[in-house]
Amino acid sequence: MPVNVPTKPVEDTVPKVNDEVAVGSDLEFQYRWWKFERIVWTFFLLIVIADVLGVFGRGPLAKAHARSKDGTIDLQYERVERFSTPSIMTVKFGPNAIRDGKIQLWVSQSVIKQLGNQRVVPQPLISTVGQDGILYTFPAASAPASASFALEPSSPGVFDFALQVPGAERLSARVYVMP
Amino acid sequence: MGGALRGIFGYCFLVFMTRIVGRRPGKQMEPFEFVLIFFMGGITLTPMVGDDRSISNAFITIMSIALTHFLMAWLKQVSPGFGRIVDGTPLVLFEKGKRHIETMKKMRVSDADVMTAARNKGITSLDQIEYAILERNGQIVVLQSEDSQ
Repeated sequence: MPVNVPTKPVEDTVPKVNDEVAVGSDLEFQYRWWKFERIVWTFFLLIVIADVLGVFGRGPLAKAHARSKDGTIDLQYERVERFSTPSIMTVKFGPNAIRDGKIQLWVSQSVIKQLGNQRVVPQPLISTVGQDGILYTFPAASAPASASFALEPSSPGVFDFALQVPGAERLSARVYVMP
Repeated sequence: MGGALRGIFGYCFLVFMTRIVGRRPGKQMEPFEFVLIFFMGGITLTPMVGDDRSISNAFITIMSIALTHFLMAWLKQVSPGFGRIVDGTPLVLFEKGKRHIETMKKMRVSDADVMTAARNKGITSLDQIEYAILERNGQIVVLQSEDSQ
């Protein structure tokens, strides 16, 4: 049985150049597109400059430093992190953080969960869970002493975190994790 | 859900980037422009797949890209305005012995590019060209003047 293929008469719908060649050029649209392209290229340039400066992490502007007023904690971290990308947060302890040859440091749960703490160097003697965080106990001889946290954020977003040597001032900071 | 969304985003982003970079990475691609295509594709691949190396993720990502491609092709068919945004519009480069210099400059097309297309049609010099048109797919189509035939 023959198939009835639907058909329609061919119409000359494509605009011609000089009434000769059907091109279908739309210069009005093209001029608008070129204008849009200029804006996009400028935007790309600004994005690249911002990235080199560290606005999106891993650059000079992303590095941050905070210090508790009583001098127990000196924190170096990245205020802009990237999702699933490793970074190091370093905590330096003042002399008054060392008690009985030990340093105790409480870190909020967000350091473990959202900021994705992978390991702590040096290895803590004891890790105690509770108070919405973890209390690490490190063996320590004398100042200067420091501990490093290898972070790898598990999701994008804005996260607050806190650190504290028990009995001393709490240090809070905010980290922006880029997608 | 992540794989599908990443696939759709990656596809749309690459379509946008190739459109912005220009029409040259189509038929008029030079060896150095291969770098652009492979580099952009390669860099997009890693965040698209993420740390999920499962077959499920690969299947879902490929299917989401195929669906997005189908949707885009359908939109181009039903909406000429959308087609112009995605593919652009044909542009006249040479017209009866005159160059459209602004078009050639902005589309980064040189006389040598036009001549490459012309030689394929057996045309031996630029003055034998009646029309040269940069097509939406990046190909330059050359029509020979009647005098030179």
